[in-house]
Amino acid sequence: MAVVKAHHLQATGLALWGLVLLRASSDGRLDLLLREMFHPLVGLAGLILMGWAAALALPGRSHAMGVPATPGQWRLGAATAAIALLLIGLPPNPSFADLAQQRASDDSGEAELAFVMPPAQRSLTDWVRLLRTQSDPRLYVGDPVRISGFVLPRRDGPPVLARLMVRCCLADATPVGLSVRWPTNQPLPRADQWLQIDGDMAVQQGPQGEELVVMPQRITPIRRPARPLEP
Amino acid sequence: MSTAWALFQGLLIEALPFLLIGVLISSLARWLAPGGRWLRRLPGHPVLGPLSGAALGFALPACECGNVPVARRLLVAGAPLGTALGFLFAAPVLNPIVIASTWAAFPDQPWLLLARPLGAVLVSLALCLLLRMIPEAELLQADVLAERRLNQPLSAVTLLQRRSGMVGIRAAMATDPDPDHDHKATPDPAPRPPLQEVLQHGGREFLQLAVLLVAGCMLAALVQTLLPRQWLLNLGGSPTGSVVALMVLSLVISVCSSVDAFLALSFAAQVTPGALLAFLLLGPVIDLKLAGLLSLLLRPRGLLLAMAGAALAVLLIAQWINLWLL
Repeated sequence: MAVVKAHHLQATGLALWGLVLLRASSDGRLDLLLREMFHPLVGLAGLILMGWAAALALPGRSHAMGVPATPGQWRLGAATAAIALLLIGLPPNPSFADLAQQRASDDSGEAELAFVMPPAQRSLTDWVRLLRTQSDPRLYVGDPVRISGFVLPRRDGPPVLARLMVRCCLADATPVGLSVRWPTNQPLPRADQWLQIDGDMAVQQGPQGEELVVMPQRITPIRRPARPLEP
Repeated sequence: MSTAWALFQGLLIEALPFLLIGVLISSLARWLAPGGRWLRRLPGHPVLGPLSGAALGFALPACECGNVPVARRLLVAGAPLGTALGFLFAAPVLNPIVIASTWAAFPDQPWLLLARPLGAVLVSLALCLLLRMIPEAELLQADVLAERRLNQPLSAVTLLQRRSGMVGIRAAMATDPDPDHDHKATPDPAPRPPLQEVLQHGGREFLQLAVLLVAGCMLAALVQTLLPRQWLLNLGGSPTGSVVALMVLSLVISVCSSVDAFLALSFAAQVTPGALLAFLLLGPVIDLKLAGLLSLLLRPRGLLLAMAGAALAVLLIAQWINLWLL
């Protein structure tokens, strides 16, 4: 039986990690997991790992290259292979509503709107940021709205339409949301469902005074967008 | 469980490139300076050593995952223990990217820009002084210790403490009774290892660290899923309670030090200034994701002492900040 050399086992392990990162870069899962600025880094790391694996697999003159793999290296290789195959075979499918319900909403004043945008072109996140800088809701009454997001149930009221904001990866995601006056003649939408809402803005009395609420004219169920996370 | 699996993947895939950067730097150092002679000239003084190690952080703009392989390289190359540990604990904060991100996240709180690096140095200094109380043989993992002893002069370590006798050491240094003696006149006989050997060594290091990183990310993802973050924030109503809650949060969230300031921004309004600083100081030193990686360097006793010491030092600093600012 042919003896497996340690460097061949290592090359396989590095190639598997490279494959994990390249697969993540190509199958769209990075859009679900990481902020966009980190995507090139992941792809580059995958390429470096593949190159590293290829360099190790090449026949070399070094004494260390001819050593057979030890039981410890076999265990490490088996663990690497198992994890890599699980990562490649089981893509992430998080429930944004579950994630958001565990976290406080993002109340930071970061990333103010630096330009004037027509109301109908503002995303849900743009609206939330605008309200932070110009907090008088009466300024926006009657403005047209066209936003999309997922349904986030609340303990103290009807669900809101929400988005997740990330600074780094899904682990630090925090929700932001807008209240919606859901039609009374229809059941409330289910948690985590993605919707696009066309309508206009109005003001309602909330627990902390007047708050802006979306008055829907049309509610359309949509698929989760390819890039559901907001920076 | 699908959310925990996604969180795990997010943490792992974000951390792997930084781990690779650290291993690449460590391998490059091994190839370019195989003897690591300059490392042994770094100060071994109990205070100057950790300070010089902390200052090395400016040369490595990576987060804590990338720092572990570099700290390992410092240790095995024979750098003074205090210098290597000072780098390990302070460099995740004392680097240009982290300082810039802290400034970008909190431009209206200049005290934080000063308090964060200063606090990181103090925590690192406290940990180095604390860990010096444990003998190296009981502090460092066996393989790190074995390789380190091969690169230490015989004046610092006996021949019996080495597994392989004189391997990796030059005779002049082995017989030199004065470790501070200037060896500049004699050439460093440690030959540059073949590139493939360096690649193999680095590859092994990456694979070991990656598996430990997987364990840390899995734990962090599970705890994050089971422990609602808002519950922790609500727990911290009092000044001390808010510090403790944010310390626990930093352990659980396990995000990189280069972006944690932006995350802290999202709950800055709900917590005391001391709690905010505690979050920014403790996470880069120790968190669930990092615990696995650190176990490659430190034995359980050293790891537990480092965790307890870091928590205590951060708690004291944060309480002092609360007394000052509230």
